[in-house]
Amino acid sequence: MAGIADLGVGIGWRSEIDLTVERLPGVDFVEVVAENLHIGHLPESVTLLLERGVPVLPHAVSLSLGGADPVDLGRVEHLGKVAEAVGAPMVSDHVCFVRAGGLDSGHLMPVPRTRDALDVLVANVELAQRNLPVPLALENVAALLEWPDGELSEGQFLAELVERTDCWLLVDVANLYANARNIGTDPERFLDEIPLERLAYVHVAGGVDHGDVYHDTHAHAVLPEVLGVLDELCSRVKPPGVLLERDDNYPSDTEIASELAAIRAVVDKHRG
Amino acid sequence: MVTPVTTQGTQLSAEQVGYLTAGPGRAAETALARLIDAGLVRVSRDGLVSAVHQNNHGATTAIEARILSYARTPVRFDTIVRSAAHSTEMSMLHQHLLDRKLLQRPRRRNEGWWFSLVIAVVLVLLGFVALEFLLGVPIAVLFFLWQRGRKAITGAGREALLRVTATDRVHAVAVYGFCGRVNRRPVADLFELSQSIVRMLPLKQNRKRRSSSDGGGSGSSCSSCGSGCGSSSCSSSSGSSCSSSSSSSCGGSSCGGGGGGGGD
Amino acid sequence: MAEIIDRNDPSAARERLAAAQAELLNALLANGPAPAGFDEQRLDVERRALLSKRRGIVRMLGPAVADELGDRFRPLFDAYALENPRRAGSRARADAAAFAEWCRAAGELSAKRKARWKFWQSN
Repeated sequence: MAGIADLGVGIGWRSEIDLTVERLPGVDFVEVVAENLHIGHLPESVTLLLERGVPVLPHAVSLSLGGADPVDLGRVEHLGKVAEAVGAPMVSDHVCFVRAGGLDSGHLMPVPRTRDALDVLVANVELAQRNLPVPLALENVAALLEWPDGELSEGQFLAELVERTDCWLLVDVANLYANARNIGTDPERFLDEIPLERLAYVHVAGGVDHGDVYHDTHAHAVLPEVLGVLDELCSRVKPPGVLLERDDNYPSDTEIASELAAIRAVVDKHRG
Repeated sequence: MVTPVTTQGTQLSAEQVGYLTAGPGRAAETALARLIDAGLVRVSRDGLVSAVHQNNHGATTAIEARILSYARTPVRFDTIVRSAAHSTEMSMLHQHLLDRKLLQRPRRRNEGWWFSLVIAVVLVLLGFVALEFLLGVPIAVLFFLWQRGRKAITGAGREALLRVTATDRVHAVAVYGFCGRVNRRPVADLFELSQSIVRMLPLKQNRKRRSSSDGGGSGSSCSSCGSGCGSSSCSSSSGSSCSSSSSSSCGGSSCGGGGGGGGD
Repeated sequence: MAEIIDRNDPSAARERLAAAQAELLNALLANGPAPAGFDEQRLDVERRALLSKRRGIVRMLGPAVADELGDRFRPLFDAYALENPRRAGSRARADAAAFAEWCRAAGELSAKRKARWKFWQSN
């Protein structure tokens, strides 16, 4: 499969900040949450960005591909239709589960890093891929708790996932930082273990430190430590794209612009 | 407490201008306009208002602070204006304008207001026949004046408004509303708001200005949306009473009751 | 080869995973017993994080309800959430509506707000 086109620096498009996203300088691409879009009724702002030639990548949060429940093909189909509607080169979701035993966690839950879980994930991903019109990238999540009896490290787990399914990776450096803080994962080891040539793009997000726990809120400023992980990643590979995610408590346009600029500065440091 | 009002020196804030011009809905629009102007809230294409996250709040009035706290989670444009129009902070502004004698408690026009006038005229005519009938004329006229009702805005309030011009976009909202026009240009354009957003607000007429400044065109220049809720209660004399003190009883969206009443 | 149905059978792996995931969500969302091997403190952190996220969404979808409840919103929502864990396939809006209904049934919310609530929901 061909490599990913150079995406540049982007931001997660959210309806609350649609005009800000349109106005911001240096937005090379955007991501939309697939579940929030209706086919045949794209937000005016998204249409406008597409007309300007800004790539729009659908990002899903509800496929629950790491879950033991059968894959909800309706959700996969919706994601595929969004991809077609915005002409996206790829779509993404997470290595996580959100539904089990008839309950919905409402948030991305980590999967156990066992052979069992990997087998199920691989089967689910393959089924999703067969039903999607474009390649699928999968993202590492932030975990607040650790499953017992893990047989693989997070990096090994994802590396094997890529090997068996040929999926792409969406690496969230804020989640790497969160896992380092909260469950003691080593981001450098993670970066050593994953196949960087399958990197689709990178997520950067803000969070807040609550003393014993770091919360990946997407509602606070990006910590310098998170940019540090991005720096580490960029020293190993030139990421095809880096995208800022902000989901709440949106700051001023100026502040968002300076976060994007800070990201670009890290990326550019390793170019040339 | 009560500030003595010299008609010459009445300084009005933009919110007060909004309130005097078209009631609490307009004052709420004005406060929102100030927040947009200062970059303290942003409005999305589909009319979601959200507070811009920052450490200092930047609100300069109690109503602005109320709107900012509403907008900590995204709220629809019309909903936030309506909520602010109903807020206790708005009631306090109303009370303040009452204290300054720029507003008064209006009296509802009696449906038979014209009847006493007819009687007065008849009595005058009968006066030609027998002078005794003329004695009844002042009584009938008094009845007429009472029944005709009383506007919410006082003479002093009207005088104060006369000196107000829309010198900036916040005052343009106070005077004409988000749905109004200033110099033939939609006020919404000054804020880069689409008509589909500002049309979420219900249409509302300004109080009639004693118009020297408006010239003849007061009809069109004054029509604007005033976000319903209570604003009608204090608008001129046309029926809806300002029954005061029952601000929370306005149910639903059209909200005829006393938003202007400032009860709580 | 029926005898190697154990570790290598994908459907058995799925069943084991299903049981483990269900047990975890039951502990986190429905006050079920803590699954073996997990750090109790971490379970608590996760439980609070999930609750807080759900509360935030309901607050956003029903600001009028949250406004009327004021300081009672949080304890009431937390009680409601424990009694009513979100079912798979349910929608956030339905959750917000169900919470308002729950509050009304408990006499914590005036019936009058309903009109406003509907107004909000219709959009």
